[in-house]
Amino acid sequence: MQDRPTASELLATIADLLEGDVLAATKGGLQHQVRVAGNLCRILEREASLGAAHEAREIALLAQVLGEPAGGRDARTLNAALVARLAAGHDAALERRAFPALLEIVRGKLAIAKPGHDDYDFSGEQLG
Amino acid sequence: MSVLDQTAKGLAAFLSQKWSKPVAIENMELASAGARRRNVLFDAVSGNERTGLVATIVPFAAMQLVPIEVEASNLRLAEAAGMPVPHVHAACDDNAFVGGPFFVTSRIAGETIPRQVLRLVEKTPGLGAKLARQCGAALAKLHAADAANAHPLVLRPNGHPLEAALAISERSIGELLQPSPAFALCFNWLKRNIPPAPRRITVVHGDFRNGNLIVGADGLRASLDWEGCHLGDPMEDAGWVVQRMWRFRNDSLEVGGFGTRDDFRAGYQEAGGEWNEARFQWWKAQGTLRWGLGLAGQAKQHLDGSVPSIVLAASGRRVAELEYDTLMLLKRGFE
Repeated sequence: MQDRPTASELLATIADLLEGDVLAATKGGLQHQVRVAGNLCRILEREASLGAAHEAREIALLAQVLGEPAGGRDARTLNAALVARLAAGHDAALERRAFPALLEIVRGKLAIAKPGHDDYDFSGEQLG
Repeated sequence: MSVLDQTAKGLAAFLSQKWSKPVAIENMELASAGARRRNVLFDAVSGNERTGLVATIVPFAAMQLVPIEVEASNLRLAEAAGMPVPHVHAACDDNAFVGGPFFVTSRIAGETIPRQVLRLVEKTPGLGAKLARQCGAALAKLHAADAANAHPLVLRPNGHPLEAALAISERSIGELLQPSPAFALCFNWLKRNIPPAPRRITVVHGDFRNGNLIVGADGLRASLDWEGCHLGDPMEDAGWVVQRMWRFRNDSLEVGGFGTRDDFRAGYQEAGGEWNEARFQWWKAQGTLRWGLGLAGQAKQHLDGSVPSIVLAASGRRVAELEYDTLMLLKRGFE
């Protein structure tokens, strides 16, 4: 176990520096890059605290959709397996099972990458 | 000599030659410097005459998607069709003047930065609805133009334009560094719900949206960025202008964060445009998928070292936004 500060705490500290003094001392195109860098630190700060739990949930959900035990496979492998199943021909039951699971997984990713993006629910503009 | 000074010198030489009289360049400023384009504003002064102009410069000829003359010809075609665009004074592919190909247009005052457009709309009663109608009317005019008049190098679909777009998405899905079941699901929906090909192939702007518009208190003054103009289904433009990413947090107003789809469609139809709801919806979903795949592609360009950039790296972490948007658009189809 590493000593304090934790990864999250350090990333927050780096983000504060980038968004404060560094941003104030830069201009033009570099300023945009510094803002992006600050935001990436905020993303990593959230990933350090939430990432492991969200990925475990993603693995469980994907295994459930596939109807197989995860069997030690990682999220990437399970995602690839689901993509292959979805591409293998129309399976309405699989798609209906996949939809809510994928929505939950994506909400988990957004909680790290862009909190609040899923506040908008597209009511009134859903297709089909 | 600074880059701007060199550019001024090159433009003075070019315009003096073009207009066969001495032209001086004054008040030059860099308006925007994207990766692919530099826009410089300046006054061309000859005797007592002063003309406000803009030069759009491709920094390196190798950056061009299409020769500069093609983009200039798209602008001329749009102007002839009655769409508000800057007037093209000249195009030049000789790198000797300003270091790359460029064209010179009239300068039109107004807001172009999306958040400033939205700020102007907020403080001007009625402007949002009017702007959405004007956007519809502008596109209807473009779509009414005879596609046979487009420059021969303008890209055109080989066959059914929706199937052609779907084939490009399928290839991009195959190239993803990280498999995306959300995008795979969207692709399946697009494939199953592909509408019949449009009756007419038209000129399509290709990137008509908040961010490529010049807007004043009186409404739409011009549409910009004609690099991606191509021939295809007119509903492609309608499905693009309503994408969530062009609303800049004003999510409930589907058209650019300033207007409703009803206003946009009314403007389109009043100006003679033929609206097709099935193809509009299809392009809307396809546009969302395309942008998600585009963001993943940007991250790939950073990761494979072809274009190292923290901005492109960050695009990879935006893919989830588009996964969410595609899933929510198609929610009804999977319940």
